[in-house]
Amino acid sequence: MNINILLGLAGIICFIGLFLRLSIWFSQELHRPAIPVTASQRVLNSIQSLFTTLFSSRIILVIKSLFVDLLFQKRIFDKSYLRWTAHTLIFFGFIMLLLMHALDSMVMDRFFSDYESTLNPYLFLRNLFGIMVLAGLALAVFRRISLKPQRLKTYPSDWAALIFIAVIIFSGMILEGARISSYTIYQNMVEEYGSFDEMEANALEAFWVQENGLNSPNLTKPQPDERVAFGMEVNGDSCIECHAPNSSAFASFAVKNVTRSISAAIGDSQAVSMFWYLHILACLSFLAWLPFSKMFHIVAAPVSLIIKGIVGDKTEQPATLLTHQMIGLSACTHCGSCSIECSSNMFFESFQNDFILPSEKVQSLKDYAAGKITDRKELKQLQQGLYVCTSCDRCTDVCPSGINLKEIFVSARYSLLNEGIPEVSMLSHFSFPLALAQNFVGDHIKALKTVTKLFQKSFKQLSELSFPMTLTKSDDIGNNSYKSCFSCQRCTNICPVVRSFDNPGEALGLLPHQIIFSLGLGNTDLAMGSKMIWSCSTCYLCQEHCPNDVELCDIFYSLKNSALNKIETGVSS
Amino acid sequence: MKYAFFQGCNIPIRIEQYASATRAIFNKFDVALQIIPEFNCCGYPVRNVDEKAYILPSVRNMAIAERAELDILVICNCCFASLQKARKVLSDNSQLREELNAILAKEGLQYRGKTKVKHYLTVLHEDIGTDRIKSKLVNKFKDLRLAVIHGCHILRPREITQFDDSFVPAITENLMKTAGINNLDWQGKLECCGAALAGINDELSHSLLKDKITGALGAGAEFISPICSYCHLQFDTAQKNLPQDRENKKLLPVLLYPQLLGLCLGIDEKTLGIAQNSTIEPEDIERLKSLLGPPVEEKKRRRKKATA
Repeated sequence: MNINILLGLAGIICFIGLFLRLSIWFSQELHRPAIPVTASQRVLNSIQSLFTTLFSSRIILVIKSLFVDLLFQKRIFDKSYLRWTAHTLIFFGFIMLLLMHALDSMVMDRFFSDYESTLNPYLFLRNLFGIMVLAGLALAVFRRISLKPQRLKTYPSDWAALIFIAVIIFSGMILEGARISSYTIYQNMVEEYGSFDEMEANALEAFWVQENGLNSPNLTKPQPDERVAFGMEVNGDSCIECHAPNSSAFASFAVKNVTRSISAAIGDSQAVSMFWYLHILACLSFLAWLPFSKMFHIVAAPVSLIIKGIVGDKTEQPATLLTHQMIGLSACTHCGSCSIECSSNMFFESFQNDFILPSEKVQSLKDYAAGKITDRKELKQLQQGLYVCTSCDRCTDVCPSGINLKEIFVSARYSLLNEGIPEVSMLSHFSFPLALAQNFVGDHIKALKTVTKLFQKSFKQLSELSFPMTLTKSDDIGNNSYKSCFSCQRCTNICPVVRSFDNPGEALGLLPHQIIFSLGLGNTDLAMGSKMIWSCSTCYLCQEHCPNDVELCDIFYSLKNSALNKIETGVSS
Repeated sequence: MKYAFFQGCNIPIRIEQYASATRAIFNKFDVALQIIPEFNCCGYPVRNVDEKAYILPSVRNMAIAERAELDILVICNCCFASLQKARKVLSDNSQLREELNAILAKEGLQYRGKTKVKHYLTVLHEDIGTDRIKSKLVNKFKDLRLAVIHGCHILRPREITQFDDSFVPAITENLMKTAGINNLDWQGKLECCGAALAGINDELSHSLLKDKITGALGAGAEFISPICSYCHLQFDTAQKNLPQDRENKKLLPVLLYPQLLGLCLGIDEKTLGIAQNSTIEPEDIERLKSLLGPPVEEKKRRRKKATA
């Protein structure tokens, strides 16, 4: 097929992909704001911000971001030299190859009047850049493998991106290697650029076989030194002006030994054209695949970084916030830096929920924003993952794409909670920083009520029991110190929570000593369902003051654990 | 002396001044605090949900410090209690120890129980000692009306925290005295700030906090000094969110012990981040500084009194 048709096709696919991905920035959202914002409002808003930024002093911040964040990649540099080296090698190697090699007619010919792809430094540099990319890829692979125990998740799509780039570079090197040894290409060059007598032609060929890696069917044995020396003279007269020694293309020059056997098997011009197709197809498929993959970050990450450079992590007005969050999601490269530093990493080990790791949340939130997650079980998993978060904001601090992850997670958390699935981890201290921040107060209270309702459904209250309660065999609650209670009620008397109420019995269901009593009677359920355990401020005063070492506060903790466990298993069954 | 500096999740992002002020005072005594980026949450937030999930993170943190051959210095009470709890549980339960070590082994870590966990006040009080602190004082407070709130999880349960006498704590008292501060005796200094209920039962959480503020004010406190980072956030942030029923009443300003001691050691208020406490007004800082005087030894004063 014609190369231009292929190029056009890849270009169109890439263009459509870019359009689709960009339209998501303005059409999807993680959290519906109180006053709805339309996509067109968001587009207008963004254009407006763009213009006000470009024509204000904030342009300085943009320029700064351009150099510091985009070209130098400071955010990666600050966190990991390995990652920075890998990314810089790939980034610069690839960009230089793109400008100097793929777009040479548009860039090089225009800026360098004496540009010849076969001359140095270009011949050498192409190989250097190629090797840079490969070295970067090797480091990236090493990072992915060595950080696996640190909870770095790698998807097939992550490998695909690495493999794609590797195929482009390798196929390019093999192609150049095949061309170096190709006799057909040599003959074409001789015909086009030279006019030699037979002796000169033979000598030149001998020289090219010995020095430039040519694979000639005529010359299989080593040639006498004088002939090669004469060939060098001919080469100096006729060739060297436009063709540097092939050995400067050091990588391809080494690869030619591999391609030689293929050329021998299928003929050298066939081999060259086969490798050419391989290289071109790899490049064009990459172009077409780019917007649909994480490689879209080459568009989204710079935008995200520049936005961060201008507005920082401040909360913005709803229209911009929604758009910025969607840009943020699309800028994720799934590099996993956030998950490696995540303070909740051990909760991931305990609960085995991938969504506790920020990098995995982001992948899923893209689908969530697109309305693609409808399965209740998956929503519940995602919701737990969003809630089991210490709000330490390390993910936001570490993200190389400058994504405001903390804000994305807060929005998504309350959006999911609004779906009405009860989230029992709301009853943990993960709620503390949320209460402190005072975001989504109404949504928070509403979601808490859903959990309370579930409690009421799952446990009977004292008033609902038929009396008298009889002594039954106790459940094992993991702490048997309640057995030594001699009912002095000191616990209840010292409790600051009990003291807070005019009618504590009514407000708390059971008082601390009554919880211990109900455990004594063997009614663990009654204890688990009491409001008291969730009103316990865990100050340990009761436990400390108990004259007979009943570990009340610890018992309350294990009752809370068992109650949530019971509810959770009840919900899923 | 060098410690692995355990800041927890709240301090680096919400109370940076606690860390910087602590660093500054320890610097005066040549105690280096090394930041270990690999440290994770202490586990405390998940304790209501699952006890084992609560223990594991602290075990990992201790294993990391162990690998670095450092003892841990903690500034947050709840982190301190979690680490101490994990130590205690694992020393009693070898089966759990094996189970959790198997999880840690995946990333090449092992918990052997060699690392000590110390609260920064213990390091000041025991390892550095009040005498050495006194020898470095350039200032001392006089007549500062300050209410200390110890925070629950540093004192109780005493078998776990092993910090101080849980009924009559002396360490904080002595350290405050070293800076010339006589702790006010007030109801609530050993009680709960309400942080553990925030976001779960805000009403109750606020009522506990309000109790403490009224208690401290009732005892005549001009400032409050929470030891725990959770208490700090309650007084320094949640206090502002309290429904204001007291008209035009000023907030009770919050000061951290390292900030108080830092001023006495001659460290400037900017390094100590005093203005970063959000309940503090410039006039509070002025008032505070006006209470600083030369570090007169108590003995001398007594002699003066005798001659007078």
